[in-house]
Amino acid sequence: MTDGEQDSLASKHMQTHRRHWKNCCRWKLISQFLLTFQTHRLDYIVDHYLSRHFGSIFSSSTKERTLCRSSLESLLAAYFGGRVGRNNRDFMSRLTCDYFFKCMARERGSEEVLDLVDDYFVELSVGVTGLPVSDSRITPGLVLPRDFSVYRPADGDIRIVIVTETVQPLFSTSGSEFILRSEAQFQTSRFWIMERTKAIMKHLQSQNVKLLLSSVKQPDSVIYYSGLAGISVVECLSPEEVSLIRRITGLSPLALPHASSQDEICNTVLVKFCKPLTFRSKRYVHLGVISTSSFIPHCVVLCGPVQGLVEQHRDALHGAFKMLRQLLKDLDLNYLIQTSDQNHTSSPLVYNESDPLPEVVNGSIQRPRQDTVLRNKSKPAKTQTYSDLVVPSVELETCIIPCSAPKVTPTGTYQTDETLRCFSPTKTRINGDNEPFIESNSANSTENTRREISYENLQITKIPGKGNLLPVREKTLEICAAQGHCFSTIPAGCVLPVGGNFEILLHYYLLHYAKKCQQSEETMVSMIIANALLGVPKILYKSKKGNCSFPQIYVRTLHALQTHQPMVSSQTGLESVAGKYQLLTSVLQCLTKILTIDLVINIKRQPQEIYDQDSEEEV
Amino acid sequence: MSRLEAKKPSLCKSEPLTSERVRATLCVLKGILTSSYGPSGRLKQVHSGFGGCVCTTSQSSALLSNLPVTHPILKILTTSMQNHVSCFRDCGLFTAILCCNLIENVQRTGLTPTTVTKLNQHLLSLCTSYLKSESCGCRILVDFSSPQTLLCLVRSIVTSKPACMLTREERDHLSALILRAFLLTIPENTKDRLILGNSIIVPLKGQRVLDSSVLPGILIEMSEIQLMKILPIKKSEAFKVALFCASLSGDFSDTGEGTMVVTYGVSLENAVLEQLLSLGRQLVSDHVDLVVCQKVIHPSLKQFLSMHRVIAIDRVGVALMEPLSKVTGTQPIGSIGSISPSSYGSVKDLCPAKFGFKHFLHLIPYEATICSLLLCNRNDTAWDELKLTCQTALHVLQLTIKEPCVLLGGGCTETHLAAYIRHKTCNEPESILKDDGCTQTELQLSTEAFCSALESVAGSLEHDGGEVLTDMKYGHFWSAHAEAPSIVNWPDLLSRCGCGLYNSQEELHWSFLKSTRHPFVPQTYLPHEATGSADNLTLDCFTAKLSGLQVAVETANLILDLSYVIEDKN
Repeated sequence: MTDGEQDSLASKHMQTHRRHWKNCCRWKLISQFLLTFQTHRLDYIVDHYLSRHFGSIFSSSTKERTLCRSSLESLLAAYFGGRVGRNNRDFMSRLTCDYFFKCMARERGSEEVLDLVDDYFVELSVGVTGLPVSDSRITPGLVLPRDFSVYRPADGDIRIVIVTETVQPLFSTSGSEFILRSEAQFQTSRFWIMERTKAIMKHLQSQNVKLLLSSVKQPDSVIYYSGLAGISVVECLSPEEVSLIRRITGLSPLALPHASSQDEICNTVLVKFCKPLTFRSKRYVHLGVISTSSFIPHCVVLCGPVQGLVEQHRDALHGAFKMLRQLLKDLDLNYLIQTSDQNHTSSPLVYNESDPLPEVVNGSIQRPRQDTVLRNKSKPAKTQTYSDLVVPSVELETCIIPCSAPKVTPTGTYQTDETLRCFSPTKTRINGDNEPFIESNSANSTENTRREISYENLQITKIPGKGNLLPVREKTLEICAAQGHCFSTIPAGCVLPVGGNFEILLHYYLLHYAKKCQQSEETMVSMIIANALLGVPKILYKSKKGNCSFPQIYVRTLHALQTHQPMVSSQTGLESVAGKYQLLTSVLQCLTKILTIDLVINIKRQPQEIYDQDSEEEV
Repeated sequence: MSRLEAKKPSLCKSEPLTSERVRATLCVLKGILTSSYGPSGRLKQVHSGFGGCVCTTSQSSALLSNLPVTHPILKILTTSMQNHVSCFRDCGLFTAILCCNLIENVQRTGLTPTTVTKLNQHLLSLCTSYLKSESCGCRILVDFSSPQTLLCLVRSIVTSKPACMLTREERDHLSALILRAFLLTIPENTKDRLILGNSIIVPLKGQRVLDSSVLPGILIEMSEIQLMKILPIKKSEAFKVALFCASLSGDFSDTGEGTMVVTYGVSLENAVLEQLLSLGRQLVSDHVDLVVCQKVIHPSLKQFLSMHRVIAIDRVGVALMEPLSKVTGTQPIGSIGSISPSSYGSVKDLCPAKFGFKHFLHLIPYEATICSLLLCNRNDTAWDELKLTCQTALHVLQLTIKEPCVLLGGGCTETHLAAYIRHKTCNEPESILKDDGCTQTELQLSTEAFCSALESVAGSLEHDGGEVLTDMKYGHFWSAHAEAPSIVNWPDLLSRCGCGLYNSQEELHWSFLKSTRHPFVPQTYLPHEATGSADNLTLDCFTAKLSGLQVAVETANLILDLSYVIEDKN
């Protein structure tokens, strides 16, 4: 190889390396934009635009916040749609709904119930194979998957205790030593142990204790003496079961050294019943514990012909409760309020010479840009027309400017742009009366205007924040004046219809936002996200034809959005907004991370150990 | 040295049911199951080339557990059936055949899985609500005042297991025995909840089936020498029994987690033995006649007890403990310390017994829900089959107590149900079509697949090449002998329908099962007189069959709905 060849190779290598490095730099930059956009802008878009479409699973008719059963059922049906077989979907969503309402003592405690069900779902569900799925049911109380070690039927006041060690004293505990000096000593020790066990049981009996729950295996003699004392015993409870019972009833384990003293044992609770239960010739302990919290204990018995199906249903059910747990919590949003760079946020106003009114996109609050104000100044005659602060029922013209997509946008955008372009010539007339239209007429000082607007903004969002009405617009907006941070929430229970609604809406508003902002990188990032979002409904409607095909749905939705008509969904299900939104932010975070990776180091781990360590040392 | 093999990639197959191999294996499985079905079913001999015992059977539980199945789809099917059988012990073959038929028929229709599973679910709910309704024409309420219905039920089960190799006389004898054994487990006076006892099956191989018998109480097997030692048993009014679950061998295990230091010269063995003997003294002074221990009794204690004419029996095992505690009416003693006098039980009588070559000590209770069924058969395989049959029959009787009705057997329920569904979907399709968005044609195709699947289960009862028919009034199942003359007079050729309820001399019209016919309304509301008079009906367990039907349809739906099979081959 000649030097020249080597040089050219090296330079080629250098070139590819440089190209790679350049790419990395660009990706890094994009990832930074993505991160900034996700942390500072996305919440704003959701809070300001998307939130107006949210529905709620709480029924709006009553003053109290009550869960609407039919909404919950359609939410769950949509959830189970992708997780269990088609023919079991409705059954499972009904079962879940029933379970949830049965467990809930009062409406307010739904969060507590969901937390508990999610944490202890394994203990609260029983799987039975060999029976048809339709035999699944809900039983009141707790079902422990083991048999009684000894069962004494009892009625009336049934008290229970929990022990976490053997009731019978042992010769020596760990770390101690028992020194045996004579045979008589051994015999008396054993005698004492027996007498002590008997005494503890007698004492428990005198306290009306009818059931002993033990997290460890008890010796035969304990079982025998408890049987004599009329106390049933269940052994080998798992730590989770013990902690579930403790959490429901507030019962703490019995401290044994004090158990035989004459004073009353305080660590007992009442149960409604305690009896054996049989599913397909397997025995269970059925315990009617009385709850001190807002959770009314119920167990769900899941049946199915094969184990795999039962497991699938159990996981789906658990997932449904996780989803509900998320849904019924407020999701905090916080973003930078854009007081300083208002220029970028306000949409480009296009003046129609014949019409003095500004065109507004979707009736959102418009603020005059600096240049428009300047223009106003130059045409003082026009300023007069802006005298009304609030203009109700104005005929507005929607304007969708066929925006020239920036060159950076990845492939795949042309389609949407086309659709948009198709749409833009059809100018639709809309009534903008549903939004307060604020137009500043003070052409004197732009500074003044800005302050006023932000104040207005604050007012508008704060007013509905107090009531217990529909939580759709229920939010407390706090603005830290110094940093321009704004804290808001997606309120608990917010839902959207399924079928790509979330994605199309967000796509629409992101495009809308992209048009308004002047920073090219923000435009780029929001376009990227907007177009990527559209991929989901595209897949959803892939198999559909005719009226339900994706372009049709897309066009119809856009039309509805532009004309302020209610959106029509072809499907009946609902989905959680908070869950969807969190998923989106996670995806963006993940993407951000992936884009900053510049090198993937592949290591071969398989096959792992070919030689023993010893032989390696020998070598 | 260890070597790890590189992981194989998982195998992914799309549309598994369309594969020729799956269809072929499914067909083979169906063939195996179908040919074993019913009283005239053919036997299967399952054995391994490596030796070991041979299993001759026609029962689903034995067949399915022994069949080597590798394909995931078939595994779903067989596991599902095994789970059903372990729940109900009956109707396993019915469920499996129905499931196979459904899968096959649905594939032939070419409908999409979505439509089919939806419609199948609807048809299933039509079936279950009809079977549970008052108007059901194939269900009989059990009259507990006479044993006839229950006896028919047991006889049907025994008859349907040809691998037991029973003659007619033996079948009748055994059916009566099983029913008697079951009746002995019902407590005489119950409060609010009925708690059934159990029948212990005692094996006695190499004897004639007619030597089988039922005895109240428990038989404890022991060697002749042991029995000689405790004889003669002194007679008394009642025998006091001490039942131990704690070991009486003098072992000493519960010392705790710490260490135990024993000073030189101290003998723990002596100390423990001294304790055991003092226990023995207490037993003797409490006038105990019989000591039974789940585990081992120390020889010294045994000798001490026998010196004082107390019978000691050890190593009875954990399985006998619950029946023993029921028979003696006491709780097992778990302590060798002080024994409360209240924990002694009693039996009415103790007597030695000899059946075949085996010696037993027979514990006769005052009043208990435990009985022993001494089961005899000529050889091991036949005995195993007979034992399974007895267990099935006893379990079915238990299920029938809980849900006091039975279904007509012999294929009549299946054909009747098929006729009902056909009529229902033909005349009132709106109820199904309104909320599903399916077309009338789809419903018709699906109904045809469902109903002919049910009918071919009934048709599988005929193995000798005879004609299978159904009548156009009751929708019952009839089968004719193969050697029929070419010009047939059906009423003469057919004598009774599958379940034995109807006679061919009525004015009936028949139609071949395989042929197409107009939907007709099968006669609903079974008249009470009709069932009371017939004394030799073929009956099926209601609970097991209903659940079997549901499981079969659900499993078929599950399998039809699979679009990918991803297998981890590691």
